Amino acid sequence: MSDALKQSLDLSMFWEYRAILLQGLIFNALVFLCAASVALSVGLGAALMRINRFWPMRWIGTLHVEVFRNAPDYIMLVWVHFVLPLLIGMLIRRRVEFHPFVSAVIALGFVYSGYFAEAFRAGIQAIPQGNLDAGRAFGMSERLILWRITLPQVVRRMLPEALNLFISMFKATTIVSLIAVPDLMYNVSMVIAQEMRPLPLYTGAALTYFLIIFLLSVGVRHFSERWRRKILA
Amino acid sequence: MGNWERLVWNQRDVLLAGLGVTIEVCAIAFAAAILGGLLLCLTRLYVAPLRPVAIFLIEFFRDTPIFVQLMWVAYVWPEVFGFPNTFFNAGWLALGLQSSGYLAETFRAGIEAVPPGQRDAAFSAGMSQTQTFSRIVMPQVVLSSAPSIVNQFTVIVKSSTLISVITVPDLMSQSQKLVNVWYEPIEILTATAALYIAFVFLISLAGKYLADRLRHRYGLAAS
Amino acid sequence: MSDVPSIRIADIHKSFGPLEVLRGVSFDVHRGAVVSVIGASGSGKSTLLRCVNHLEPPDSGEIYIDGEPLGSRVDARGQRKPRSLAEINAMRRELGVVFQQFNLWPHMTVLGNVIEAPIRVRKLPRKEAIAYGEECLRRVKLIDKAGEYPARLSGGQQQRAAIARALAMRPKAMLFDEATSSLDPELKDEVLGVMRELAADGTTMIVVTHEMSFAREVSDRVIFLHEGRIEEEGPPADIFGAPKSERLRQFLSKYRK
Repeated sequence: MSDALKQSLDLSMFWEYRAILLQGLIFNALVFLCAASVALSVGLGAALMRINRFWPMRWIGTLHVEVFRNAPDYIMLVWVHFVLPLLIGMLIRRRVEFHPFVSAVIALGFVYSGYFAEAFRAGIQAIPQGNLDAGRAFGMSERLILWRITLPQVVRRMLPEALNLFISMFKATTIVSLIAVPDLMYNVSMVIAQEMRPLPLYTGAALTYFLIIFLLSVGVRHFSERWRRKILA
Repeated sequence: MGNWERLVWNQRDVLLAGLGVTIEVCAIAFAAAILGGLLLCLTRLYVAPLRPVAIFLIEFFRDTPIFVQLMWVAYVWPEVFGFPNTFFNAGWLALGLQSSGYLAETFRAGIEAVPPGQRDAAFSAGMSQTQTFSRIVMPQVVLSSAPSIVNQFTVIVKSSTLISVITVPDLMSQSQKLVNVWYEPIEILTATAALYIAFVFLISLAGKYLADRLRHRYGLAAS
Repeated sequence: MSDVPSIRIADIHKSFGPLEVLRGVSFDVHRGAVVSVIGASGSGKSTLLRCVNHLEPPDSGEIYIDGEPLGSRVDARGQRKPRSLAEINAMRRELGVVFQQFNLWPHMTVLGNVIEAPIRVRKLPRKEAIAYGEECLRRVKLIDKAGEYPARLSGGQQQRAAIARALAMRPKAMLFDEATSSLDPELKDEVLGVMRELAADGTTMIVVTHEMSFAREVSDRVIFLHEGRIEEEGPPADIFGAPKSERLRQFLSKYRK
């Protein structure tokens, strides 16, 4: 047993391939950035629909949130990559294929848009009515009130929660290797196929991700502490 | 589309078998997560010499992405620890470890949220530490963290889709088998996605209901 | 003194579900006049004020600002049509409102609060808005707090900031909705002092208030509201000195020490 333990802790192999593995990590970051943009914008849109005056809009917003919040990342990834192109292809009568990167961004972006939508909605509804009354009393349009009064406050209040969602999202990008996006785990599996030595590589990957996420989480925790104190002064 | 009938309804046995495996794995993982989380939490709070170990483990299980953890537990652990011996076991173990990290923190927050006055009252009445803990503190912790615990179960279910990668015959893996056989992914994958979404949705509904009932009965703020 | 009243309130009715809060309230406010509205809780005072700028649209009746109806307009063919929200917003600029809960926007500094509406709604250039905004802050003696965030100010300071914010729009009239009710007694005076100065300067004001001394000493007219109707109205001397209605006497007796 100690031989295996030694093997798995012998990270020299991991270090040897660090260039290609780092490339993979950068891909994770890229997927994360693109998907995060999608999640934020779609999530905001869904949240605004949920508090719209017209009930069909509210209904659609709620449907969006419930479908995507409750959907497992992996099945969404597979569905977007394999089913969505076929559906679109049927619509425009052409063969459509998604680049795996695109599928990953769409799938993760939409799944997390559900979580962001809920966070936004809770934040919007927490703004005291008086703030809005004052805006209206001054003759501000609803749109002006939304962008100058409501959303700046929502962003301030929800920043810690949003940061935690971002960290979750970054962790979720590890599954994109399953549709052949060349991220860290994909490159790890490539190296394993070549070197036939899984132990140090999987261990190395686990440690790498742990370190990154750990540092990010600690950072976010400290920041959120100080931020909350400042905002709720 | 009559395809729905042919591809989904007629194959429901295959899919339901997969769903059964999913539920099995998730249930075992959930139980393991609660036990593990409790163990880690109590160690962290009350066993001083092991505190750093507990903290490290909690952070490690929480921060490592579930997919990475799964591969690591499935391929490295058997060589090093001799366990898990099957992929099924690797599945629930990885899921359980990840959630135990989260639950450990949930329990800790719950324990720290119990007003110290409660303990004062128990001690003044002559109750021992153990009695106070098991009769006064823990019940309140369980009640106030119930919604978070239910939520963690939905996380387990959502993450369980990944155990198909290590060839556990869960719902995801069964549906992929069907797609490989029939080459028509639209109905099968859509039905599978819908099944997962519906399942998770029902669990979270139950969680909300539970939270409302608890708030009503006990006046506890749901976390 | 022009003939057309600055604000004409004409037969306002308002119900919330089965509860009829305003049952036909009418009165005029001429330019430069200070009208105080007093009455017990639930008499409809705040609702009335919220109807004046259509924060709550009245069920029936109309508000006229300088002769223009607020809720509707007459189109080219002489037909009455309800006003769009954009038009109502445009008319709201002419009314400055000071709320009981101050309602300062917490994510902007005091000066930020003051210049927000002038810039966004009146489309003033930033420099001009800042210049006049600072003047308003000087008027309420709050210029030294211009760069502070509302959370750091006392209640009295926040309310004075809210008054400056309303003044910065150069409104035709100022509406005060129980502006001092949320303040501790020590802090009320600084706000009432500002309100007195505004009145002395000739500002048209409708003041919903519990501060009887203010109503008596500063108003030109006092209106006593009871259960959604004007029970009695007149100059302060009459209302406080020689109340006619029994309900008014009962109400005032609570305030006599």
